Amino acid sequence: MMLDRHEAQDGRNDIGHENRDVASDRSHADRPLADREVPLPGLGGESVGEVTVLQQWLDGDATEVDARRSDTKQVDLWNRISAETDRRRRMATPAHLSAQIMAALPALETRATTATETSAATQAEPARSAGLAPWMMIAVGAAFFALGIIVGKMFM
Amino acid sequence: MRRYPSAVKMTEEASQLAEIDSDQDVISRVSAGDRDAFAMLIGRYSDPLYRHALGMTGSPDVAEDILQTSFIKAYQHLNEVRGRFDAWLFRIVANGCKDWLKNIRRSHLSYDEDDQPSGYSSPDEDLDRTELRTDLDTALAKLAPSLREAFIMKHVEGRSYEEMADLLGTTVGALKMRVHRAREALQALLEEKYA
Repeated sequence: MMLDRHEAQDGRNDIGHENRDVASDRSHADRPLADREVPLPGLGGESVGEVTVLQQWLDGDATEVDARRSDTKQVDLWNRISAETDRRRRMATPAHLSAQIMAALPALETRATTATETSAATQAEPARSAGLAPWMMIAVGAAFFALGIIVGKMFM
Repeated sequence: MRRYPSAVKMTEEASQLAEIDSDQDVISRVSAGDRDAFAMLIGRYSDPLYRHALGMTGSPDVAEDILQTSFIKAYQHLNEVRGRFDAWLFRIVANGCKDWLKNIRRSHLSYDEDDQPSGYSSPDEDLDRTELRTDLDTALAKLAPSLREAFIMKHVEGRSYEEMADLLGTTVGALKMRVHRAREALQALLEEKYA
């Protein structure tokens, strides 16, 4: 059972896709109760104040005494939930995970080297061609020299 | 409410490391070929991100997978980081969680309470796991992802609304509303038994 669907959007850079939440700033009162699949006890007009005090307390904006004046049972429930969420807040990443991630990292350096080598190899081709050019130039030069001699003899 | 200098809170040890090398310093080292320096970033941010993934998916195995995939993705795209690395990394993990939730629904896996794994239980814990722990997992699994995300960030990760707004790219008001609605929904699901 889904209670709501907020899709968010985020314009900042991201891998693959952006955040998909669109913040709706509609106030609580604007949103019809029909939007909620779970009935929200205490949200009727007569008890909005109670919910607000409880929420304020949970947000740190009201004291527990104030909240208890509204609903002791709910305060007790949230104290139990808070104890559980506090416990979860102390949970740490499994010890093996860091090493596992490091072992799974692709070899970027190798890839970079390969790319560099490929690039160097590509750039080396003209150089190699240029390395052959002197031989060709000598041959062409010799041919021109021979041709020059022949032509010279023809006119002498 | 405590305020944290960094969007993704770090462990004490990691905070000390942060004084030595900023994220940007570490990223530069990794980019220059110091692959081992990446472990520093993992050490700094894995705990809060793991808690986020665990809270969102309810499964330690899935949370580990998402974290591993996210860090690898981050490593491969380090040169694309613009702005704060921690916020960028958080978005990768958060999107990984949302994708997983989307896929699990698409593949018609049951998301009913009977099948919902309790992500916070281990074989050792099974014996002394409280009913509330299980029921809270079940109730969280029934929340829409955006409400669950807001509740986890607020109550499990202990973030301020400002931090949440910064990370999720939305307004404090919108997030307050999500957290409030998540609380109301959880209350509605749990109060009959516990209140």
